[in-house]
Amino acid sequence: MFLAKVKKKVVSSHKHKAYQNRTIYLVKEVLPDGSELDTEWVAMDYVGAGVGDVVICGGAPGVARELFNLKQAPIRTLIMAVVDQIN
Amino acid sequence: MKLGIVIGKIWASKKVRELEGCKLSLVQPVTSEEKAVGFPLVVADPEGIGGSGDLVVYVTGTDATQAFHTGYAPVNASIVELVDEVN
Repeated sequence: MFLAKVKKKVVSSHKHKAYQNRTIYLVKEVLPDGSELDTEWVAMDYVGAGVGDVVICGGAPGVARELFNLKQAPIRTLIMAVVDQIN
Repeated sequence: MKLGIVIGKIWASKKVRELEGCKLSLVQPVTSEEKAVGFPLVVADPEGIGGSGDLVVYVTGTDATQAFHTGYAPVNASIVELVDEVN
């Protein structure tokens, strides 16, 4: 898992069916103090995060398939929590 | 998942059975500003989503096999979305 900041929304009309009716965001890895790193990921929202939120991203092979109850889910990175505070 | 631009198509007539009928694309990973990061990689495109020059989302790792309707293929990167806009 890693800490990241939600930067932008990725809009698409032609997609794999596992991605239909789901929101994906472009997130940028951050350090605990909030400073941004260069690494960007595309992550699927599972908790209702919005642009500007600091979130926890992660996932394991097969997890998305169970969470969304799909037969096939080519989804690796999920937004799994919105961070309120780090101390 | 990551953002990338399709920079080429790969033809291979002799390949494993699982990849028959599957498009193989050469993808350059990019940032949301479409700046190249790292080296290009070969990405499977089982649904024929990305054409040359398109900005796409691809999934890496074990979950890439899930992009195939059989749920199994010897790949570790697959195209899952054609990006219209990142905002």
